[in-house]
Amino acid sequence: MSKQTQSLLTLLEAVGVTIYYSDKPAVQEISISVPEHHITAIIGPSGCGKSTLLRAFNRMNDFIPEARMEGQILYKGNQLYAPGVDPVDVRRRIGMVFQKPNPFPKSVFNNVAWGPSINRYEGNLNERVELSLRKAALWDEVKDRLNDSAMTLSGGQQQRLCIARALAMEPEVILMDEPCSALDPVSTARIEDLMFELKKTYTIVIVTHNMQQAARVSRFTAFMEGGMLVEFGATKQLFTRPVNKRTEDYVSGRFG
Amino acid sequence: MKTTNLTARQRKAYLFRLICAAISWMGIGLLAILIFHVTSKGISWLDWQFLTGFPSRFPERAGIKSALVGTIWFISMTACFSIPLGTAAAIYLEEYSRKGPLGYLIEVNIANLAGVPSIVYGLLGLVIFVRGMELGRSLLAGSLTMTLLILPIIIIAAREAIRAVPNSIRLAAFALGATRWQMLRFHVLPQALPGILTGVILALSRAIGETAPLIMIGALTYVAFVPEGPLDAFTVLPIQIFNWASRPQEDFHHIAATGIIVLLAVLFFMNIIAVSIRHHAEKKGKV
Repeated sequence: MSKQTQSLLTLLEAVGVTIYYSDKPAVQEISISVPEHHITAIIGPSGCGKSTLLRAFNRMNDFIPEARMEGQILYKGNQLYAPGVDPVDVRRRIGMVFQKPNPFPKSVFNNVAWGPSINRYEGNLNERVELSLRKAALWDEVKDRLNDSAMTLSGGQQQRLCIARALAMEPEVILMDEPCSALDPVSTARIEDLMFELKKTYTIVIVTHNMQQAARVSRFTAFMEGGMLVEFGATKQLFTRPVNKRTEDYVSGRFG
Repeated sequence: MKTTNLTARQRKAYLFRLICAAISWMGIGLLAILIFHVTSKGISWLDWQFLTGFPSRFPERAGIKSALVGTIWFISMTACFSIPLGTAAAIYLEEYSRKGPLGYLIEVNIANLAGVPSIVYGLLGLVIFVRGMELGRSLLAGSLTMTLLILPIIIIAAREAIRAVPNSIRLAAFALGATRWQMLRFHVLPQALPGILTGVILALSRAIGETAPLIMIGALTYVAFVPEGPLDAFTVLPIQIFNWASRPQEDFHHIAATGIIVLLAVLFFMNIIAVSIRHHAEKKGKV
Protein backbone atom coordinates (compact mmCIF):
# COMPACT_ATOMS: atom_id res chain seq x y z
CA MET A 1 0.00 0.00 0.00
CA SER A 2 2.64 2.46 -1.00
CA LYS A 3 0.01 4.79 -2.36
CA GLN A 4 -1.55 5.19 1.05
CA THR A 5 1.70 6.26 2.58
CA GLN A 6 2.60 8.83 -0.05
CA SER A 7 2.79 12.31 1.37
CA LEU A 8 -0.48 14.09 2.02
CA LEU A 9 0.57 17.69 1.83
CA THR A 10 -2.35 19.98 2.46
CA LEU A 11 -2.54 22.53 -0.34
CA LEU A 12 -5.87 24.17 0.27
CA GLU A 13 -7.76 24.36 3.51
CA ALA A 14 -11.08 25.70 4.74
CA VAL A 15 -11.04 26.67 8.40
CA GLY A 16 -14.38 27.29 10.09
CA VAL A 17 -15.92 28.71 6.93
CA THR A 18 -19.42 30.15 7.19
CA ILE A 19 -20.97 31.87 4.17
CA TYR A 20 -24.12 33.96 4.38
CA TYR A 21 -26.39 35.02 1.53
CA SER A 22 -27.88 38.20 2.92
CA ASP A 23 -28.38 36.87 6.45
CA LYS A 24 -29.12 33.25 5.68
CA PRO A 25 -26.17 30.92 6.19
CA ALA A 26 -25.60 28.70 3.15
CA VAL A 27 -22.47 27.09 4.52
CA GLN A 28 -21.82 26.73 8.24
CA GLU A 29 -18.59 26.18 10.14
CA ILE A 30 -16.93 23.97 7.58
CA SER A 31 -13.34 22.84 7.91
CA ILE A 32 -11.79 20.55 5.33
CA SER A 33 -8.30 20.18 3.95
CA VAL A 34 -7.51 19.41 0.34
CA PRO A 35 -4.34 17.36 -0.18
CA GLU A 36 -1.98 18.08 -3.05
CA HIS A 37 -2.16 15.89 -6.19
CA HIS A 38 -5.37 14.18 -5.19
CA ILE A 39 -8.98 14.50 -6.17
CA THR A 40 -11.25 15.64 -3.39
CA ALA A 41 -14.99 15.36 -3.94
CA ILE A 42 -17.74 17.36 -2.27
CA ILE A 43 -21.09 15.59 -2.42
CA GLY A 44 -24.53 16.28 -1.04
CA PRO A 45 -28.11 16.95 -2.07
CA SER A 46 -29.05 20.02 -4.15
CA GLY A 47 -28.90 23.26 -2.21
CA CYS A 48 -26.60 21.90 0.49
CA GLY A 49 -24.03 24.63 -0.12
CA LYS A 50 -21.39 22.54 -1.87
CA SER A 51 -21.03 24.88 -4.86
CA THR A 52 -20.94 27.88 -2.54
CA LEU A 53 -18.09 26.29 -0.62
CA LEU A 54 -16.26 25.49 -3.85
CA ARG A 55 -16.54 29.06 -5.08
CA ALA A 56 -15.03 30.28 -1.82
CA PHE A 57 -11.78 28.52 -2.75
CA ASN A 58 -11.02 30.91 -5.61
CA ARG A 59 -13.01 33.90 -4.42
CA MET A 60 -15.74 33.57 -7.04
CA ASN A 61 -18.26 34.43 -4.33
CA ASP A 62 -16.89 37.97 -4.51
CA PHE A 63 -19.24 38.47 -7.47
CA ILE A 64 -22.33 37.73 -5.41
CA PRO A 65 -22.93 41.07 -3.70
CA GLU A 66 -25.05 39.66 -0.88
CA ALA A 67 -22.55 36.89 -0.01
CA ARG A 68 -20.44 37.32 3.12
CA MET A 69 -17.85 34.93 4.51
CA GLU A 70 -16.52 34.19 7.95
CA GLY A 71 -13.61 31.92 8.72
CA GLN A 72 -10.56 31.41 6.56
CA ILE A 73 -9.40 29.75 3.40
CA LEU A 74 -5.73 28.88 3.44
CA TYR A 75 -3.71 28.24 0.29
CA LYS A 76 -0.23 26.92 1.08
CA GLY A 77 -0.79 28.33 4.54
CA ASN A 78 -1.61 31.85 3.30
CA GLN A 79 -4.99 33.43 3.92
CA LEU A 80 -6.80 33.96 0.63
CA TYR A 81 -9.11 36.55 2.16
CA ALA A 82 -6.39 38.61 3.84
CA PRO A 83 -6.63 42.36 3.07
CA GLY A 84 -3.60 42.55 0.77
CA VAL A 85 -4.57 39.59 -1.43
CA ASP A 86 -5.65 40.41 -4.98
CA PRO A 87 -8.54 38.09 -5.95
CA VAL A 88 -7.41 38.28 -9.60
CA ASP A 89 -4.11 36.71 -8.56
CA VAL A 90 -5.94 34.00 -6.61
CA ARG A 91 -8.03 32.99 -9.63
CA ARG A 92 -4.92 32.89 -11.77
CA ARG A 93 -3.54 30.10 -9.56
CA ILE A 94 -6.78 28.33 -8.75
CA GLY A 95 -8.69 27.60 -11.94
CA MET A 96 -12.33 26.70 -12.31
CA VAL A 97 -14.52 24.60 -14.60
CA PHE A 98 -18.22 25.30 -14.48
CA GLN A 99 -21.35 23.20 -14.51
CA LYS A 100 -22.44 24.13 -18.00
CA PRO A 101 -19.70 24.31 -20.63
CA ASN A 102 -19.16 28.03 -21.17
CA PRO A 103 -16.61 28.53 -23.94
CA PHE A 104 -16.19 32.04 -25.24
CA PRO A 105 -17.95 32.54 -28.59
CA LYS A 106 -14.55 32.72 -30.26
CA SER A 107 -12.27 30.27 -32.03
CA VAL A 108 -10.98 27.15 -30.31
CA PHE A 109 -7.48 28.62 -30.36
CA ASN A 110 -8.51 31.94 -28.87
CA ASN A 111 -10.45 30.25 -26.10
CA VAL A 112 -7.29 28.59 -24.83
CA ALA A 113 -4.89 31.39 -25.70
CA TRP A 114 -6.81 34.19 -24.03
CA GLY A 115 -5.89 33.39 -20.43
CA PRO A 116 -2.12 33.31 -21.04
CA SER A 117 -2.27 36.34 -23.34
CA ILE A 118 -3.97 38.64 -20.81
CA ASN A 119 -1.44 37.52 -18.23
CA ARG A 120 1.50 38.59 -20.37
CA TYR A 121 2.67 35.12 -21.25
CA GLU A 122 6.06 35.52 -22.89
CA GLY A 123 6.62 32.04 -24.33
CA ASN A 124 5.27 30.48 -27.50
CA LEU A 125 1.51 30.80 -27.42
CA ASN A 126 0.98 28.13 -30.09
CA GLU A 127 2.89 25.59 -28.03
CA ARG A 128 0.99 26.50 -24.90
CA VAL A 129 -2.33 26.06 -26.67
CA GLU A 130 -1.31 22.70 -28.12
CA LEU A 131 0.01 21.45 -24.79
CA SER A 132 -3.15 22.51 -22.95
CA LEU A 133 -5.38 20.87 -25.54
CA ARG A 134 -3.30 17.69 -25.37
CA LYS A 135 -3.55 17.62 -21.58
CA ALA A 136 -7.30 17.99 -21.90
CA ALA A 137 -7.37 15.06 -24.36
CA LEU A 138 -8.90 17.27 -27.02
CA TRP A 139 -5.98 17.98 -29.36
CA ASP A 140 -6.59 15.14 -31.80
CA GLU A 141 -10.20 16.13 -32.26
CA VAL A 142 -9.64 19.85 -32.81
CA LYS A 143 -6.14 20.19 -34.26
CA ASP A 144 -7.54 20.75 -37.76
CA ARG A 145 -10.20 23.19 -36.68
CA LEU A 146 -8.39 25.52 -34.29
CA ASN A 147 -9.86 28.51 -36.08
CA ASP A 148 -13.43 27.25 -35.98
CA SER A 149 -15.80 28.73 -33.45
CA ALA A 150 -15.83 26.84 -30.16
CA MET A 151 -19.61 26.83 -30.45
CA THR A 152 -19.38 24.23 -33.22
CA LEU A 153 -17.93 21.63 -30.81
CA SER A 154 -20.12 19.06 -29.06
CA GLY A 155 -21.05 19.55 -25.40
CA GLY A 156 -18.41 17.12 -24.16
CA GLN A 157 -15.76 18.71 -26.37
CA GLN A 158 -16.78 22.15 -25.13
CA GLN A 159 -16.32 21.06 -21.53
CA ARG A 160 -12.88 19.63 -22.30
CA LEU A 161 -12.09 22.91 -24.05
CA CYS A 162 -13.04 24.72 -20.83
CA ILE A 163 -10.67 22.40 -18.96
CA ALA A 164 -7.93 23.13 -21.51
CA ARG A 165 -8.63 26.83 -21.08
CA ALA A 166 -8.15 26.50 -17.33
CA LEU A 167 -5.00 24.39 -17.79
CA ALA A 168 -3.45 27.00 -20.07
CA MET A 169 -3.09 29.23 -17.02
CA GLU A 170 -0.94 26.51 -15.43
CA PRO A 171 -2.86 26.62 -12.19
CA GLU A 172 -2.02 24.40 -9.24
CA VAL A 173 -5.61 23.70 -8.32
CA ILE A 174 -8.61 23.10 -10.54
CA LEU A 175 -12.06 23.50 -9.04
CA MET A 176 -14.80 21.63 -10.91
CA ASP A 177 -18.42 22.49 -10.25
CA GLU A 178 -20.47 19.49 -11.41
CA PRO A 179 -18.47 19.37 -14.65
CA CYS A 180 -20.37 16.42 -16.10
CA SER A 181 -23.93 17.21 -15.15
CA ALA A 182 -24.74 18.56 -18.62
CA LEU A 183 -22.96 15.73 -20.45
CA ASP A 184 -23.87 12.26 -21.72
CA PRO A 185 -22.31 9.12 -20.18
CA VAL A 186 -19.63 8.77 -22.86
CA SER A 187 -18.43 12.33 -22.44
CA THR A 188 -18.62 11.91 -18.68
CA ALA A 189 -16.36 8.85 -18.85
CA ARG A 190 -13.86 10.79 -20.95
CA ILE A 191 -13.74 13.63 -18.44
CA GLU A 192 -13.30 11.19 -15.56
CA ASP A 193 -10.38 9.52 -17.37
CA LEU A 194 -8.97 12.96 -17.92
CA MET A 195 -9.22 13.77 -14.22
CA PHE A 196 -7.12 10.69 -13.35
CA GLU A 197 -4.49 11.92 -15.74
CA LEU A 198 -4.60 15.48 -14.43
CA LYS A 199 -4.26 14.68 -10.76
CA LYS A 200 -0.64 13.71 -11.35
CA THR A 201 0.22 17.35 -11.86
CA TYR A 202 -2.76 19.19 -10.44
CA THR A 203 -4.90 19.18 -7.35
CA ILE A 204 -8.58 18.80 -8.10
CA VAL A 205 -11.66 19.61 -6.07
CA ILE A 206 -14.88 18.39 -7.66
CA VAL A 207 -18.42 19.11 -6.65
CA THR A 208 -20.87 16.48 -7.81
CA HIS A 209 -24.25 15.14 -6.91
CA ASN A 210 -23.44 11.94 -8.71
CA MET A 211 -22.26 9.66 -5.91
CA GLN A 212 -20.90 7.01 -8.26
CA GLN A 213 -18.73 9.65 -9.81
CA ALA A 214 -17.36 10.71 -6.44
CA ALA A 215 -16.71 7.07 -5.54
CA ARG A 216 -14.97 6.45 -8.87
CA VAL A 217 -12.68 9.42 -9.12
CA SER A 218 -11.93 10.84 -5.70
CA ARG A 219 -9.50 9.92 -2.98
CA PHE A 220 -11.26 12.00 -0.33
CA THR A 221 -14.90 12.92 -0.01
CA ALA A 222 -16.78 15.50 1.99
CA PHE A 223 -20.49 14.93 2.50
CA MET A 224 -22.54 18.05 3.13
CA GLU A 225 -26.14 18.49 4.06
CA GLY A 226 -28.08 21.66 4.83
CA GLY A 227 -24.93 23.77 4.78
CA MET A 228 -23.16 21.58 7.33
CA LEU A 229 -20.31 19.15 6.89
CA VAL A 230 -21.61 15.75 7.91
CA GLU A 231 -18.56 13.65 7.23
CA PHE A 232 -15.17 14.07 5.65
CA GLY A 233 -12.69 11.32 5.05
CA ALA A 234 -11.14 8.85 2.65
CA THR A 235 -13.62 8.08 -0.11
CA LYS A 236 -13.29 4.35 0.32
CA GLN A 237 -14.19 4.54 3.97
CA LEU A 238 -16.96 7.07 3.52
CA PHE A 239 -18.71 4.88 0.98
CA THR A 240 -18.15 1.50 2.67
CA ARG A 241 -17.98 2.18 6.39
CA PRO A 242 -19.49 5.63 6.99
CA VAL A 243 -19.30 6.85 10.55
CA ASN A 244 -22.44 8.92 10.40
CA LYS A 245 -25.89 7.43 9.92
CA ARG A 246 -26.97 10.25 7.56
CA THR A 247 -23.95 9.64 5.36
CA GLU A 248 -24.86 6.01 5.18
CA ASP A 249 -28.43 6.83 4.20
CA TYR A 250 -27.25 9.19 1.48
CA VAL A 251 -24.53 7.05 -0.08
CA SER A 252 -26.74 3.98 -0.01
CA GLY A 253 -29.37 5.93 -1.90
CA ARG A 254 -32.01 6.00 0.79
CA PHE A 255 -32.59 9.69 0.15
CA GLY A 256 -31.30 12.57 -1.97
CA MET B 1 -64.70 12.39 -27.53
CA LYS B 2 -63.31 15.22 -29.56
CA THR B 3 -60.41 16.77 -27.73
CA THR B 4 -58.36 18.32 -30.45
CA ASN B 5 -60.63 20.54 -32.60
CA LEU B 6 -57.56 20.91 -34.74
CA THR B 7 -59.14 22.76 -37.63
CA ALA B 8 -60.46 25.57 -35.42
CA ARG B 9 -57.06 25.98 -33.79
CA GLN B 10 -55.29 25.95 -37.13
CA ARG B 11 -57.71 28.58 -38.42
CA LYS B 12 -56.92 30.81 -35.43
CA ALA B 13 -53.20 30.41 -36.00
CA TYR B 14 -53.66 31.34 -39.64
CA LEU B 15 -55.80 34.34 -38.74
CA PHE B 16 -53.17 35.66 -36.34
CA ARG B 17 -50.52 35.34 -38.99
CA LEU B 18 -52.74 37.20 -41.42
CA ILE B 19 -53.26 40.08 -38.99
CA CYS B 20 -49.52 40.43 -38.34
CA ALA B 21 -48.77 40.42 -42.05
CA ALA B 22 -51.48 43.01 -42.74
CA ILE B 23 -50.11 45.37 -40.09
CA SER B 24 -46.55 45.00 -41.35
CA TRP B 25 -47.55 45.72 -44.93
CA MET B 26 -49.65 48.68 -43.86
CA GLY B 27 -46.55 50.31 -42.31
CA ILE B 28 -44.44 49.59 -45.35
CA GLY B 29 -47.22 50.80 -47.64
CA LEU B 30 -47.61 54.13 -45.85
CA LEU B 31 -43.86 54.68 -46.02
CA ALA B 32 -43.87 53.88 -49.72
CA ILE B 33 -46.69 56.37 -50.35
CA LEU B 34 -44.78 59.06 -48.44
CA ILE B 35 -41.59 58.44 -50.36
CA PHE B 36 -43.44 58.36 -53.68
CA HIS B 37 -45.27 61.61 -52.87
CA VAL B 38 -42.12 63.43 -51.81
CA THR B 39 -40.11 62.13 -54.73
CA SER B 40 -42.68 63.01 -57.36
CA LYS B 41 -42.98 66.49 -55.91
CA GLY B 42 -39.33 67.30 -55.40
CA ILE B 43 -37.17 65.19 -57.71
CA SER B 44 -37.29 67.64 -60.59
CA TRP B 45 -35.67 70.35 -58.46
CA LEU B 46 -32.80 68.09 -57.40
CA ASP B 47 -29.69 69.18 -59.27
CA TRP B 48 -26.13 70.24 -58.61
CA GLN B 49 -27.18 73.84 -58.24
CA PHE B 50 -29.56 72.83 -55.45
CA LEU B 51 -26.90 70.90 -53.57
CA THR B 52 -24.24 73.60 -53.84
CA GLY B 53 -26.34 76.75 -53.61
CA PHE B 54 -27.21 78.83 -50.58
CA PRO B 55 -30.78 79.74 -49.62
CA SER B 56 -32.34 82.44 -51.74
CA ARG B 57 -35.52 84.44 -52.09
CA PHE B 58 -35.86 83.05 -55.58
CA PRO B 59 -36.83 79.39 -55.69
CA GLU B 60 -34.83 78.61 -58.82
CA ARG B 61 -31.65 79.87 -57.12
CA ALA B 62 -32.29 78.39 -53.69
CA GLY B 63 -29.90 75.69 -52.51
CA ILE B 64 -29.33 73.53 -49.52
CA LYS B 65 -25.55 73.65 -49.11
CA SER B 66 -25.45 75.45 -45.77
CA ALA B 67 -28.08 73.16 -44.22
CA LEU B 68 -26.45 70.01 -45.61
CA VAL B 69 -23.00 70.92 -44.36
CA GLY B 70 -24.55 72.12 -41.09
CA THR B 71 -26.28 68.77 -40.61
CA ILE B 72 -23.07 66.86 -41.28
CA TRP B 73 -21.16 68.99 -38.78
CA PHE B 74 -23.99 68.80 -36.31
CA ILE B 75 -24.55 65.04 -36.45
CA SER B 76 -20.81 64.29 -36.33
CA MET B 77 -20.37 66.41 -33.23
CA THR B 78 -23.45 64.95 -31.58
CA ALA B 79 -22.13 61.43 -32.28
CA CYS B 80 -18.74 62.35 -30.82
CA PHE B 81 -20.36 63.52 -27.59
CA SER B 82 -23.21 61.07 -27.18
CA ILE B 83 -21.66 57.70 -28.14
CA PRO B 84 -18.80 57.69 -25.62
CA LEU B 85 -20.92 59.27 -22.89
CA GLY B 86 -23.88 56.96 -23.40
CA THR B 87 -21.82 53.79 -23.68
CA ALA B 88 -19.70 54.67 -20.66
CA ALA B 89 -22.79 55.41 -18.58
CA ALA B 90 -24.35 52.11 -19.62
CA ILE B 91 -21.19 50.15 -18.79
CA TYR B 92 -20.97 51.82 -15.41
CA LEU B 93 -24.61 51.21 -14.56
CA GLU B 94 -24.55 47.56 -15.69
CA GLU B 95 -21.10 46.37 -14.69
CA TYR B 96 -19.82 48.55 -11.87
CA SER B 97 -22.57 50.16 -9.83
CA ARG B 98 -24.23 48.16 -7.11
CA LYS B 99 -27.79 47.12 -7.79
CA GLY B 100 -29.98 48.75 -5.19
CA PRO B 101 -32.73 51.32 -4.67
CA LEU B 102 -30.49 54.08 -6.04
CA GLY B 103 -29.79 52.10 -9.20
CA TYR B 104 -33.49 51.48 -9.64
CA LEU B 105 -34.21 55.18 -9.21
CA ILE B 106 -31.62 56.02 -11.87
CA GLU B 107 -33.06 53.42 -14.23
CA VAL B 108 -36.60 54.77 -13.91
CA ASN B 109 -35.38 58.33 -14.37
CA ILE B 110 -33.43 57.51 -17.52
CA ALA B 111 -36.50 55.80 -18.96
CA ASN B 112 -38.52 58.93 -18.13
CA LEU B 113 -35.95 61.23 -19.69
CA ALA B 114 -36.28 59.30 -22.94
CA GLY B 115 -39.92 60.39 -23.02
CA VAL B 116 -39.49 64.09 -22.20
CA PRO B 117 -40.65 66.31 -25.11
CA SER B 118 -37.72 67.57 -27.15
CA ILE B 119 -38.75 71.22 -26.75
CA VAL B 120 -37.96 70.89 -23.04
CA TYR B 121 -34.42 69.89 -23.91
CA GLY B 122 -34.29 72.93 -26.15
CA LEU B 123 -35.16 75.15 -23.19
CA LEU B 124 -32.55 73.40 -21.08
CA GLY B 125 -29.93 73.88 -23.79
CA LEU B 126 -30.89 77.54 -24.12
CA VAL B 127 -30.41 78.14 -20.41
CA ILE B 128 -27.27 76.06 -19.87
CA PHE B 129 -25.28 76.10 -23.09
CA VAL B 130 -26.40 79.20 -25.00
CA ARG B 131 -26.66 81.57 -22.06
CA GLY B 132 -25.01 79.91 -19.04
CA MET B 133 -21.85 78.77 -20.79
CA GLU B 134 -22.13 81.60 -23.29
CA LEU B 135 -21.67 79.35 -26.30
CA GLY B 136 -24.19 81.38 -28.23
CA ARG B 137 -26.22 80.00 -31.12
CA SER B 138 -23.34 77.75 -32.09
CA LEU B 139 -22.93 74.24 -33.43
CA LEU B 140 -21.40 73.34 -30.08
CA ALA B 141 -24.45 74.48 -28.12
CA GLY B 142 -26.75 72.69 -30.57
CA SER B 143 -24.92 69.39 -30.52
CA LEU B 144 -24.59 69.42 -26.73
CA THR B 145 -28.33 70.00 -26.44
CA MET B 146 -29.01 67.15 -28.87
CA THR B 147 -26.61 64.93 -26.92
CA LEU B 148 -28.75 65.44 -23.81
CA LEU B 149 -31.82 64.54 -25.83
CA ILE B 150 -30.51 61.25 -27.22
CA LEU B 151 -28.36 60.10 -24.30
CA PRO B 152 -31.24 58.23 -22.62
CA ILE B 153 -31.95 56.31 -25.84
CA ILE B 154 -28.31 55.26 -26.21
CA ILE B 155 -27.96 54.38 -22.52
CA ILE B 156 -31.10 52.23 -22.50
CA ALA B 157 -30.15 50.37 -25.69
CA ALA B 158 -26.54 49.87 -24.59
CA ARG B 159 -27.63 48.59 -21.16
CA GLU B 160 -29.95 46.08 -22.79
CA ALA B 161 -27.16 44.92 -25.09
CA ILE B 162 -24.69 44.55 -22.21
CA ARG B 163 -27.26 42.75 -20.08
CA ALA B 164 -27.92 40.28 -22.91
CA VAL B 165 -24.35 38.93 -22.69
CA PRO B 166 -24.65 35.72 -20.67
CA ASN B 167 -23.23 35.88 -17.18
CA SER B 168 -21.39 32.60 -17.69
CA ILE B 169 -19.02 34.46 -20.03
CA ARG B 170 -18.19 36.95 -17.29
CA LEU B 171 -17.54 34.19 -14.78
CA ALA B 172 -15.42 32.25 -17.27
CA ALA B 173 -13.24 35.32 -17.82
CA PHE B 174 -12.94 36.06 -14.11
CA ALA B 175 -12.01 32.45 -13.37
CA LEU B 176 -9.04 32.86 -15.73
CA GLY B 177 -7.70 35.70 -13.64
CA ALA B 178 -9.04 38.52 -15.78
CA THR B 179 -9.64 41.93 -14.31
CA ARG B 180 -13.05 43.48 -14.78
CA TRP B 181 -11.71 45.71 -17.54
CA GLN B 182 -10.14 42.77 -19.41
CA MET B 183 -13.40 40.85 -19.11
CA LEU B 184 -15.33 43.83 -20.53
CA ARG B 185 -12.82 44.75 -23.19
CA PHE B 186 -12.40 41.26 -24.68
CA HIS B 187 -15.75 39.59 -24.12
CA VAL B 188 -18.70 41.67 -22.99
CA LEU B 189 -18.17 44.75 -25.16
CA PRO B 190 -17.45 42.89 -28.42
CA GLN B 191 -20.55 40.79 -27.88
CA ALA B 192 -22.66 43.81 -26.94
CA LEU B 193 -21.35 46.01 -29.76
CA PRO B 194 -24.00 45.10 -32.39
CA GLY B 195 -26.77 45.91 -29.91
CA ILE B 196 -25.10 49.14 -28.84
CA LEU B 197 -24.75 50.17 -32.49
CA THR B 198 -28.44 49.52 -33.08
CA GLY B 199 -29.21 51.97 -30.28
CA VAL B 200 -26.78 54.49 -31.72
CA ILE B 201 -28.42 54.21 -35.16
CA LEU B 202 -31.86 54.83 -33.68
CA ALA B 203 -30.64 57.74 -31.57
CA LEU B 204 -28.73 59.50 -34.36
CA SER B 205 -31.62 58.96 -36.77
CA ARG B 206 -33.79 60.77 -34.30
CA ALA B 207 -31.22 63.54 -33.82
CA ILE B 208 -30.92 64.20 -37.53
CA GLY B 209 -34.64 64.88 -37.83
CA GLU B 210 -35.18 66.90 -34.67
CA THR B 211 -36.18 70.51 -35.24
CA ALA B 212 -37.88 71.91 -32.17
CA PRO B 213 -34.96 72.03 -29.71
CA LEU B 214 -32.71 73.61 -32.32
CA ILE B 215 -35.22 76.33 -33.09
CA MET B 216 -35.45 76.87 -29.34
CA ILE B 217 -31.73 77.43 -28.93
CA GLY B 218 -31.75 79.72 -31.93
CA ALA B 219 -30.31 77.83 -34.84
CA LEU B 220 -30.78 80.17 -37.76
CA THR B 221 -33.32 79.70 -40.51
CA TYR B 222 -31.46 81.70 -43.12
CA VAL B 223 -27.75 80.90 -43.34
CA ALA B 224 -25.81 82.03 -46.37
CA PHE B 225 -22.48 80.56 -45.26
CA VAL B 226 -20.98 77.22 -44.33
CA PRO B 227 -19.92 76.69 -40.70
CA GLU B 228 -16.17 76.37 -40.36
CA GLY B 229 -15.82 75.55 -36.68
CA PRO B 230 -17.80 74.36 -33.67
CA LEU B 231 -18.51 77.88 -32.50
CA ASP B 232 -20.08 79.06 -35.77
CA ALA B 233 -23.78 79.65 -36.21
CA PHE B 234 -25.52 76.98 -38.27
CA THR B 235 -28.71 75.56 -39.67
CA VAL B 236 -29.74 71.98 -40.33
CA LEU B 237 -31.84 70.23 -42.95
CA PRO B 238 -35.13 69.92 -41.04
CA ILE B 239 -35.07 73.63 -40.13
CA GLN B 240 -34.42 74.58 -43.74
CA ILE B 241 -37.22 72.26 -44.88
CA PHE B 242 -39.58 73.73 -42.31
CA ASN B 243 -38.65 77.21 -43.46
CA TRP B 244 -39.38 76.44 -47.11
CA ALA B 245 -42.55 74.54 -46.38
CA SER B 246 -43.99 77.46 -44.43
CA ARG B 247 -43.59 79.92 -47.29
CA PRO B 248 -46.64 80.78 -49.37
CA GLN B 249 -45.09 80.23 -52.84
CA GLU B 250 -45.88 76.89 -54.43
CA ASP B 251 -42.31 76.46 -55.75
CA PHE B 252 -40.86 76.53 -52.27
CA HIS B 253 -43.10 73.61 -51.32
CA HIS B 254 -41.45 71.65 -54.10
CA ILE B 255 -38.03 72.69 -52.83
CA ALA B 256 -39.03 71.53 -49.36
CA ALA B 257 -39.77 68.11 -50.85
CA THR B 258 -36.36 68.15 -52.53
CA GLY B 259 -34.85 68.94 -49.13
CA ILE B 260 -36.64 65.93 -47.66
CA ILE B 261 -35.12 63.73 -50.36
CA VAL B 262 -31.67 64.98 -49.39
CA LEU B 263 -32.40 64.43 -45.69
CA LEU B 264 -33.58 60.88 -46.35
CA ALA B 265 -30.50 60.23 -48.45
CA VAL B 266 -28.21 61.42 -45.66
CA LEU B 267 -30.09 59.28 -43.16
CA PHE B 268 -29.93 56.27 -45.46
CA PHE B 269 -26.21 56.73 -46.04
CA MET B 270 -25.58 57.08 -42.30
CA ASN B 271 -27.51 53.92 -41.51
CA ILE B 272 -25.72 51.96 -44.23
CA ILE B 273 -22.41 52.84 -42.57
CA ALA B 274 -23.72 51.87 -39.13
CA VAL B 275 -25.23 48.61 -40.34
CA SER B 276 -22.03 47.62 -42.10
CA ILE B 277 -20.03 48.37 -38.94
CA ARG B 278 -22.49 46.26 -36.99
CA HIS B 279 -22.26 43.45 -39.51
CA HIS B 280 -18.48 43.56 -39.30
CA ALA B 281 -18.62 43.55 -35.48
CA GLU B 282 -20.96 40.57 -35.45
CA LYS B 283 -18.62 38.57 -37.62
CA LYS B 284 -15.50 39.63 -35.74
CA GLY B 285 -17.02 38.88 -32.35
CA LYS B 286 -17.17 35.19 -33.16
CA VAL B 287 -13.49 34.58 -33.94
